Amino acid sequence: MGVRNDGDFYDAPLLMGRVCDLPGYVVLSRLKTVLSFGAAMTQQIPRFLTYQNIPVWRHAVVIQWVAQLVSAFIVVGLVAAAAVNLISAINERNISYSFSFLSRAYQTPIGDHFLPYDANADTFLYAIAVAATNTLFVAIIGVILAIALGIIMGVMRLSGNWLVAKTAMVYVEFFRNVPLLVQLFFWWVILLALPPIRESYILPGGFFVNNRGLSFPGPAADGSAAWLWLLLALAVIAAGVIVSRRLARRELETGQASYPVVAGWGAVLLGGALSWIIVSLINGAPPLTLSIPEQQGRFLNIVGGQTFKPGMVALLIGLVMYTAAFIAEIVRAGIQSVSRGQTEAARALGLTPMSTLRTVIFPQALRVIIPPLISQCLNLTKNSSLGIAVGYSELTGIAQTMTQTAPAISIFLLIMLCYLAMSLTWSLIGNIYNWRIGASSSR
Amino acid sequence: MAAQPDIANRMTGPLPPPATSVGVLGWLRSNLFSTWYNGVITVVAGAIIALALWYGLRWALVDADWAVIARIGGRFAIGGYNTSQACPGQDCFWRPQAILLLITVLLGMAWGIAGAGLARTAALVVAVAAALFALLPYSLERMGMDVRLLLVANLPAVALGWALARYTPLGTVRWASILAVVVFVVSLVLLRGLPGVPGLQPVPVNHWGGLTLNLLLATVGITLSLPIGIALALGRRSHLPVLKGLCVFFIEVFRGMPLITLLFMAHVLGPLVFPGTSPLLRAGVVITLFSSAYMAENIRGGLQALHPGQAEAARALGLPGWQTTLLISLPQALRNVIPAIVGQFIGLFKDTSLVYIISMLDIVEIGRTVIRGNVEFQDNARELYVFLAIVFWIFTYGMSYVSGRVEQHLGVGQR
Repeated sequence: MGVRNDGDFYDAPLLMGRVCDLPGYVVLSRLKTVLSFGAAMTQQIPRFLTYQNIPVWRHAVVIQWVAQLVSAFIVVGLVAAAAVNLISAINERNISYSFSFLSRAYQTPIGDHFLPYDANADTFLYAIAVAATNTLFVAIIGVILAIALGIIMGVMRLSGNWLVAKTAMVYVEFFRNVPLLVQLFFWWVILLALPPIRESYILPGGFFVNNRGLSFPGPAADGSAAWLWLLLALAVIAAGVIVSRRLARRELETGQASYPVVAGWGAVLLGGALSWIIVSLINGAPPLTLSIPEQQGRFLNIVGGQTFKPGMVALLIGLVMYTAAFIAEIVRAGIQSVSRGQTEAARALGLTPMSTLRTVIFPQALRVIIPPLISQCLNLTKNSSLGIAVGYSELTGIAQTMTQTAPAISIFLLIMLCYLAMSLTWSLIGNIYNWRIGASSSR
Repeated sequence: MAAQPDIANRMTGPLPPPATSVGVLGWLRSNLFSTWYNGVITVVAGAIIALALWYGLRWALVDADWAVIARIGGRFAIGGYNTSQACPGQDCFWRPQAILLLITVLLGMAWGIAGAGLARTAALVVAVAAALFALLPYSLERMGMDVRLLLVANLPAVALGWALARYTPLGTVRWASILAVVVFVVSLVLLRGLPGVPGLQPVPVNHWGGLTLNLLLATVGITLSLPIGIALALGRRSHLPVLKGLCVFFIEVFRGMPLITLLFMAHVLGPLVFPGTSPLLRAGVVITLFSSAYMAENIRGGLQALHPGQAEAARALGLPGWQTTLLISLPQALRNVIPAIVGQFIGLFKDTSLVYIISMLDIVEIGRTVIRGNVEFQDNARELYVFLAIVFWIFTYGMSYVSGRVEQHLGVGQR
């Protein structure tokens, strides 16, 4: 005791030496000199300039509130100036800014649509909904494919096989570092250079590839019966989840083998099949049929099935390749965050490398992976707005077309709301996950 | 007992490892054929890669027609800057080139100050690349002597910067930072021109283009988004309700929207809300604000990951709040999130290609315009995009390489 450990104090001057070079620090320390000069005069200043016997310019609460008021004032001033300019521009140029256009017919064709759409009859509001479903569709399929490819690439990068690891590295370094726009244009050009519809590449299983897109077998819905079956199927899935959770808990509590996974899947498949039969009996025909595309007529046009146009395929390929490169890095970081001892212990217990990865490493890595993964999903959703570059009609693209026939300000407000809703949904998913992780780790 | 010396005589040293575990064979065995399925994977993957390389190289060397790249040539670098519409009656090519010279002088100064290392590599790579570009057969045939001389002048420019840093009092970090700001302002003046000054005829911003435009937007975005991001992150973590609310609102709105939508909105509403602003200014502001919202979240992550004991210790030592933040929390937080920050910088540079939506001719769009305008190149878009991908890749990979070196230098993940 009594001997001061000077070692602890050596770092501070070093750090100060580095930071003191910053211009911001110089200004702030000058300010501090001025303020402490004020402190020397505390005795002489009149009472009304003090608060709780401290000069107002040195009182933390006062300073903080002044700072807040000033920043609020600046922001309000900026917004007010913008609003004044906007209003005067609106008055000058006679720009409309109401929302009455929403019930008017849009009267412009939309290239790709998954909801039924009739250009002459359907309204602006419905057209925005069609565009929003287009965005959502690409986002959901893109997220699923990107996560799958990203996990494969992330695991490949950690492979003991040199060739596989380097392939994944080259993939990640290339696709991550080239702008998505350039990639999209590239895929778009490649797809448009495919042979015409007469000379389509035909892949087994009813897949057609040509310069008008990709045609593949898809479900053909039978109106309301399909909706009814979908609803029933959702209910059955929910029931299956509940059954499997109950059984899993029973297995944990009593130690009896209860086969939760088998029972859950069995319940879902059985219920799905039963509801399929019931709906078919009521309807007289199955709710969904598989429609296989085929070439018909003199021009060998493709009839039936689902067709994704080149723009959409280019957008999907681009989004998936680009985002998967980022996800691969996230997955790699997550797996590397699990300590090596876990792998060694699992191998020592006799697990195969594959089941080590699946049952020991991955569940632990997920904690590190999920939060950045969700932000990548959000990025993919937002990047789908680049569909505008390859002629895919999503929210931004349709907004651009709509501004020619409807007030831009109102359209932008609606589009903003759509995007904010999507990003809030992703944040909500992230927060729920964080909350569950927090809940389970405190248990 | 009698056998003992016999064994000792025979044990002259350890036997050499088997031939299959050393050298090329050993490497192949442990890295490619360690198990039977690894061997199968190696063969299959090798076949696929060989096939891809075969077709890729055949396309690149035989089938591809790279004439379109040569045709666009210098426009990749400066867009339509040196055309008769932009610069009537004058040759303006020297203005962007003078900017490049100023930058190489700065890089030379950085080399002189930092000594050997990253700064030297950067300075030499830029200067040698510029000089070599002047000596390509293509350039010999297409470029005037003046253009090529200015490009070669980058080599003496580096030497000049190095000498300035070594032999004059300018060789400090502070002077170099001040000069960097001066160079930026001078560059803007050079690009913009000054009315009434002979040789510096004003060039409207809508003629600025090419890589110069991407780099300009990226430079402005990178330098401004870091301080704005820090301010937003601190604001979001503060206990002052108004400040916090404003920062949260700003960050969430800008993070919730795609950049392309924001650019488009600024393009349509900008002239109404802020009349008299140029498209370039609006694009710069939107890109900067968008990037600072992301930056703020990265920095906030770094601040959150910091052990609260750091700030508490600083307060216990008697540092006031602002000093605790500026001297203790921020430096550590920033050091820990360098990878995320550089990732954001790279993202910002890639995002500058989106300005095409507001009809600005950046490096991507200038190429597309040429392809659209010339029927003979209509089948050569592939070559253009491959070339653009390589150009962007060189820049972004360079940035992540620099960040890796900086991380090593600061010892991220080792303390």
